[in-house]
Amino acid sequence: MAKKILIVDDDPNIVTYLEDFFGDNGYDTCSATDGSEAMAVVKKEKPDLITLDLEMPEEWGPRFYRKLVKEEEFRKIPVIVISGLTGSKYAIQKAVASITKPFDRDKLLAIVKDVIG
Amino acid sequence: MFKKILFATTASPSCDHAARVAFDMAKRYDSELTAFHVFGIPTRGFSQFVRDVRTGETVTFDDDYLDWVKEEMKNTYVRQLEIHQNCTIEAIHGVPHTEILRAARKKDVDLIIMGSTTREEDEGTYVYRSTTGSTLQAVTKAARCPVLVIGRPVASTWGGFSNIVFGTDFSRTADSAFLFAYKVAKTFGCTLHLFHAYDISAVHSGKIMEQDEIEDNMMEAREKMRKMYVPRMKGFDDYEIEIWEGIPYVEIVKFARENYADLIVMAHHTRKPSSEKALLGSTVEQVVLRATCPVASVNRPDKIKDL
Repeated sequence: MAKKILIVDDDPNIVTYLEDFFGDNGYDTCSATDGSEAMAVVKKEKPDLITLDLEMPEEWGPRFYRKLVKEEEFRKIPVIVISGLTGSKYAIQKAVASITKPFDRDKLLAIVKDVIG
Repeated sequence: MFKKILFATTASPSCDHAARVAFDMAKRYDSELTAFHVFGIPTRGFSQFVRDVRTGETVTFDDDYLDWVKEEMKNTYVRQLEIHQNCTIEAIHGVPHTEILRAARKKDVDLIIMGSTTREEDEGTYVYRSTTGSTLQAVTKAARCPVLVIGRPVASTWGGFSNIVFGTDFSRTADSAFLFAYKVAKTFGCTLHLFHAYDISAVHSGKIMEQDEIEDNMMEAREKMRKMYVPRMKGFDDYEIEIWEGIPYVEIVKFARENYADLIVMAHHTRKPSSEKALLGSTVEQVVLRATCPVASVNRPDKIKDL
């Protein structure tokens, strides 16, 4: 069964782009446009990996991450931070990687493959 | 796993905590246990005299004394022996670490269990001695199997192993320790914490590190942990990676306490290349003395491969 990636980003262009990109590489995807709705999607879809934006209008990425790791079932889901903020790598230090927009898609794919296969 | 265990003991109160772990493990894992005591020789070379561990007096060694000591050992562990029948009691005279190592080799044991030191803290002194005993040091250095050291009361371990902390600095010598920790975790269905403490103790000697530098190094360590150990745990996913910064032994003891660890696994040493020469590493030595769970020191891969 294909691995599923949850894309959390408030920029619809990024979401579409990542959905197409991951889809082309054999992954299933689902998405949320804000931290506040991402938790519900995680519960419903049970993704294998999450790409997470930091700055979003309602609930920021780190706050969502804090909620995520409180749930025993989900706390081990690997997270890749994809953000335009400077110093974003320090925001969620337990993320498997932090990537700054604009990003190199091959590099992103290499990380995803490395983490979930 | 743990088919044969050698419990090296003085049968005095300093080994009581180790005894509880030894008998508990032997019962739980159905191991063949040998409670093994060596009469220390007070003089160099071979001698007719030995030092009685309880009284400290020099006594003449003969068969009567040997039988008496074995009887005393049986009396000391009478309750444990009732529960665990698959235990033999042995006593021999000689240099303790030599005889312990010899017995371990001869019996081909999978694990040696020991206390950390037999010396009581000197009363009235304000300096904590903070060193392990010389027998322990010699045994951990040369043993072909892991040595499980019990330095303090370890109530957390009752009920068997379920939560293991593997402390690593990514050195080559930590590889055997990793393999041991992983095999124990896999065999007994434990959670395995892969833990690294990023050493910032240089700050005390005046080297002030920027926080960026510390955090970058910690993230790098996390990545290293993922690349170095995770691919070797095929199909095993009950593991967690944690990196803390500080003085390594303090952080390992803190981490083990916070996570209710019942076993810490570390390499015997990490700095020196040769297993023959290296002394018990200073970090593992402090962890042995301070942790409230057993600490396994691993120096050689020999026995771990077969576990």
